[in-house]
Amino acid sequence: MSLLFEAITSEYTIHLCVLCGLYLILAQSLNLTFGLGQLFNLAHVASYAVGAYTTALLATEAESPFWVCVTASVLTSGVFALLLGAIALRLSNDYFAIGTLAFSSVVSSLLINWRSVTHGVLGIPGIPRPDLLGADLYQNSHFLALMSIFVVVTQVLFYLLYSSPFGRALRGLAEYEQAALALGRDTRLIRNFAFFFSSAGAGLAGSLFAYYLSYIDPSSFSLGEMVFILTIVIVGRPGSYWGVIAATIFLVLLPEPLRFLQIDSAYLGPARQLIHATLLFSVVWWKRRVLFPQQRQV
Amino acid sequence: MLTLQDLHVSFHGTRVLQGVTFSVTHGETVGIIGPNGCGKTTLFNCISGFVDASSGTLTFQNKDISRLPPHQRAQSGLGRVFQNFGIFREMTLLENLLIAIEAKRGAANPLFPWSKRAKKNEALALSYLNEVGLAEKARSKASSLSGGQMRLLEITRTLAVGADLFLLDEPTAGVSPKMKEDVVAIIKRLQTLGKTILIIEHDITFIQKFCSRVIVLNEGRVVLDDIPERVRADERLKDIYFGRDEERVT
Amino acid sequence: MFDILPQLLANSLITGSIYALASAGLVLTFALLRFLNFAHGHLMMVGAYTFFYFSVAHHLSLAPAAGLTILCMALLGSIVLRVFVQPFLTGNSLLPLVTTIALGSILEAVISIQFGVNVRSLPLQSGIESLEWRGIFITPLQIFIIVSAILILSALAFLIHQTGFGRRIRAVAENSAAAESLGVSRPLIVGVVFLVSVILAGFAGVLVGYETNIQPTMGGSYSIKAFAAMVLGGLGNIWGTVAGALILGLVENLSIGLDFGGYSLPAGYKDAFAFLTILAILLFRPQGLFGTRQRTT
Repeated sequence: MSLLFEAITSEYTIHLCVLCGLYLILAQSLNLTFGLGQLFNLAHVASYAVGAYTTALLATEAESPFWVCVTASVLTSGVFALLLGAIALRLSNDYFAIGTLAFSSVVSSLLINWRSVTHGVLGIPGIPRPDLLGADLYQNSHFLALMSIFVVVTQVLFYLLYSSPFGRALRGLAEYEQAALALGRDTRLIRNFAFFFSSAGAGLAGSLFAYYLSYIDPSSFSLGEMVFILTIVIVGRPGSYWGVIAATIFLVLLPEPLRFLQIDSAYLGPARQLIHATLLFSVVWWKRRVLFPQQRQV
Repeated sequence: MLTLQDLHVSFHGTRVLQGVTFSVTHGETVGIIGPNGCGKTTLFNCISGFVDASSGTLTFQNKDISRLPPHQRAQSGLGRVFQNFGIFREMTLLENLLIAIEAKRGAANPLFPWSKRAKKNEALALSYLNEVGLAEKARSKASSLSGGQMRLLEITRTLAVGADLFLLDEPTAGVSPKMKEDVVAIIKRLQTLGKTILIIEHDITFIQKFCSRVIVLNEGRVVLDDIPERVRADERLKDIYFGRDEERVT
Repeated sequence: MFDILPQLLANSLITGSIYALASAGLVLTFALLRFLNFAHGHLMMVGAYTFFYFSVAHHLSLAPAAGLTILCMALLGSIVLRVFVQPFLTGNSLLPLVTTIALGSILEAVISIQFGVNVRSLPLQSGIESLEWRGIFITPLQIFIIVSAILILSALAFLIHQTGFGRRIRAVAENSAAAESLGVSRPLIVGVVFLVSVILAGFAGVLVGYETNIQPTMGGSYSIKAFAAMVLGGLGNIWGTVAGALILGLVENLSIGLDFGGYSLPAGYKDAFAFLTILAILLFRPQGLFGTRQRTT
């Protein structure tokens, strides 16, 4: 029994909880654009990166306090999304996916090459844990507590968004844009808002990630990472609030038993990737008739 | 209330509407008929704002709306019912109505699903549904409805958003004969509420029941614009629908 | 600055040739099946590793290694077609995009497990000495790349425009129902074209392996580059795509090779050009430089 208690409170479990928390924010925010709005946004991981780097730079170079960093991350990611939206929202369907992918790749390229700002592949080390009310946030369990507050608040906010008039209008316009327009809804504005909130969420996750890991580099924001977040939303059913929550926990925990098998650590990463990709394919195959409904028009 | 002046619309070099001109006064019900492909839906799309006119003007409630985007035209009272059912099938009937109530000009949008405003909106939505006999299905997905029920939902929804002018594109298409009467009933209710209505339909005997005027469109032009009896009797109607055989005398 | 221009142009031709071979396969599947094969770059990567396996790990000589690679790619292609593509062709084209995203990850993971994640190169015993011609340095391998691109693409063009089989391909691409009612076997056409596409991808991958290097994660960026060439040239248009590929190669090499008054772009930004090109074209000329509103082969 005490072994179980030790296992539950161990650093490993705490680490898993932190990961779950991060991905809960990332996936639920992607759910807003990809799930409700049917917008195939492959640049979500770029918003994540913008948030992470904003916090990393402010915390190390400007030694800004916690609230400044977090707010800055959320806002910069939001504004970033408006820039993305200005370009991507002119494109339809296939083109939208490629367009956001291209945008994301440009950001990736900047992260690696704009060395004067991002330090390239070396990354930004030495991000201090937040200094809040005297709490020792260098203890991971304490950090987890802080993070949980953010996770709960964002999940509640997204729930309110989904069940709000905004959420309804977004779902309507995703299905039949002209019908939504004919009801007086400004669809372009709504889509931009969706992008803003979605990206702001990813920015928040990025900020927390930077604080947790104390070091960030471009490799955490790869295409593979984007595919993982996308997998969570698809497996949980795009547009489903609770489905995405369940899928996040499931997918983060699913490959963990591999750690306890005697396999070389070099295989862990690819093995996780294989498990996730196979699951993604299986769900897409199973739900192929309902997954991406054709958008209706006059 | 609505005036079209010399409207021209082209797609890829094909002229779909050529010099369409007519006016609709407040409270009138006007039918629009014509053979397939003569531009009726394009006409509606142009009025709604989904298609740009290459020339001509469009005036609605004494304002030039030619440059306004569709959602602003809707906000000023221009309602539209789509031929292929513009309801949101993936959402419940209640949600469909709520969208309209929340989108209405001047509507206050509730922040929390449990707030008083939200409850008031929900009650209002249910009352609208009740008037067309759909209240028991309020929480079912709209895809579970029959064609006739979808049409009723759509018209009710357009009423809920506060439209003054109703563009009804083939409201009886896909509706079973039994439900057609319900559609007629709701159109008559719109009339008693003083709404202005434009209806695209195929059956002139049908629209004769409630239209004070019928406009006949052919190949993008207005050919006839008169009271239903005179339109029915007009020789040209037969030519348009059945074609004139040059060799024989009708 | 301009004295290195001829060298840059030569380099552009080499890069462009590889991109042309890569994107030719992509545009074939797009024109025929109307979906974007996200795993195209990953298939290139698999081709390179398969060839590596036969020629380096098993020390087979060129011809048998090539033959076995082609066989393996064909086999892989038919599995991919049956499992990852065909069940998803009705309905939204985002479906096969997502399944090929999953496929790309699967291929990347499998190759990583089998060969490790480190960068590898296909070694050459001969053909690596540069030849010089009027100030331009070029290796026999690079000449081979350019020549093979010209030959293969010309053969492809000949097949599509001058043969009966090519006519049937074009018919199915334009209107498969009409083509089938005339007795054309759509499954056969689709099968052959897809296999050709996959084999072409594999070949392009091998060239990349010789010319630069390979690693399991390279699939994504090559897919995007192939998309860029296709978008640039006009979706669904083969010659447009080839032109797009050459222009892309040109832009990439010139951007890092030329220095503008003492400032030159760091080499790492080369890739960003493909991405920016996609964005610019999608925004300002979505039909591509050479495309029309309709999609044709």
